[in-house]
Amino acid sequence: MEVKVEGGDDFANTSYGKICQDTFRDLGVRTSIDHTYLYIDPKEPVFLISVKIGRVASPLKVRDVTQPEIDKLKITDEKFAPKILAVLWDKYGARVHQIGRLEIGLKVDEREAEAVKELVVYDPREDLIPRILDGIDRILPEGARVRYPIPSPRRITIIASENPIGEEWKKKAEELVRVLGDDV
Amino acid sequence: MYKIMMFEGGVYKFNELRELIEDIGGFIVQELVMQTDTILHMAFPEEEEREIRNKVKELGGKLIDLPLAGTEIVVVTPSLGKHHAVNPLCDIGEYLRRKGAITNMMGLARGVGKRIAQITAEEKMIMEECDAVVFVFGNLKECMAEKAKIFDAVNVPYLIVGGPPDLELEHYLGGIGRRTDRMRRKEEFDTLEAMASKLGEILDERRKEVEEDPLAASPLFIKELIELVMPPKAGEDLPIIIHLDGLRVIIDEEEVARIRDIEGGKKKLSEICEIKKSLYRGYLLKILPEAVTGSVF
Repeated sequence: MEVKVEGGDDFANTSYGKICQDTFRDLGVRTSIDHTYLYIDPKEPVFLISVKIGRVASPLKVRDVTQPEIDKLKITDEKFAPKILAVLWDKYGARVHQIGRLEIGLKVDEREAEAVKELVVYDPREDLIPRILDGIDRILPEGARVRYPIPSPRRITIIASENPIGEEWKKKAEELVRVLGDDV
Repeated sequence: MYKIMMFEGGVYKFNELRELIEDIGGFIVQELVMQTDTILHMAFPEEEEREIRNKVKELGGKLIDLPLAGTEIVVVTPSLGKHHAVNPLCDIGEYLRRKGAITNMMGLARGVGKRIAQITAEEKMIMEECDAVVFVFGNLKECMAEKAKIFDAVNVPYLIVGGPPDLELEHYLGGIGRRTDRMRRKEEFDTLEAMASKLGEILDERRKEVEEDPLAASPLFIKELIELVMPPKAGEDLPIIIHLDGLRVIIDEEEVARIRDIEGGKKKLSEICEIKKSLYRGYLLKILPEAVTGSVF
């Protein structure tokens, strides 16, 4: 993920660059973002953030997070245990039972076993936008509560301020999104 | 004037140190014995430091200076949201505790922003109950300069910490602003050390002011008087907190009358202290100057 911060003094730009990097990394969306642009104007004060969404990881299937054994599945990544259980319960109901922390009992024939492996456990696309929005919320100063979104494909752009956002800023932001859209 | 230091060592002949402190007219502020390890915060007259040092050397322990001991400091952030807490709020709090201070943390109800930042009268009064305040700001110079004006109204010594290293504000220290990680590198520890020593200087000024108009009795002496009448209950966490010119006593309403009647020398506590309920926790005892109350002994 590339980050560009402009508008503030040197210290503010560098520190906000680091805040962007760290926040998106904490939320696990750094690899799904191509470019982040942040404009700071502390005098007004107005903040503009524009995030370009890049390639998103492919969906995780049961075979990615479990190991099949006789009449049971062994979970290899515990983080996904609740999701695997939910998916299996949904599909096979009472045939699924939890043996231990990392073991799920499931009696299926060979044909069904192949279908189980292909079930989708988690699709990162599902909650990508909410997670990016959460990140944006953490990056923008807490006082800037008045928000105005600028819609554009594959890009999330938000203007934030503590004062009402004027037309002039909206136009400026739209222009910036257009330029950014061509460049990066 | 008393000096507060921390002893760290074993239990070997430990009682001798306690006796020596009592003999030279000192006090034990806090004591923690964990199997064979002992940590003791002690206050003693400054001129007796040599004596204590010799004893500690004999016992094979360590003596550590606590420049902020005997004070209660509140660390204030514009809010308790993800933006301002937990980093660096906890780092500052922990460092001040290592230097002997008792710390509180406080997030303002409407402290965020530039134009919209506010401080309520109640928040101001809670801050003023403590000996000093550390305001933790963010990384934008313009917002900080604006916000500093609001905190000017607070009538206790304060220190402002924030990100930009060069900002012309009174009592300002840069290098600790909005952060996304803990302060664990050497240069960050140096910044925290600079903060503690700057706070120490500010508190020393206040100490001198108190000394110029001496109190009727030392807060340490009053702490001991209260403990004689109301011994601390087992497992209770710091029921008496020492301030520069008073104490915070964490007691219930029904026990206040007992506190008022405690006698120290010729006078009762109600005669030498102003006792009022704290807006935050427990009761505040503000010790009056000797010039007002007359001699206690």
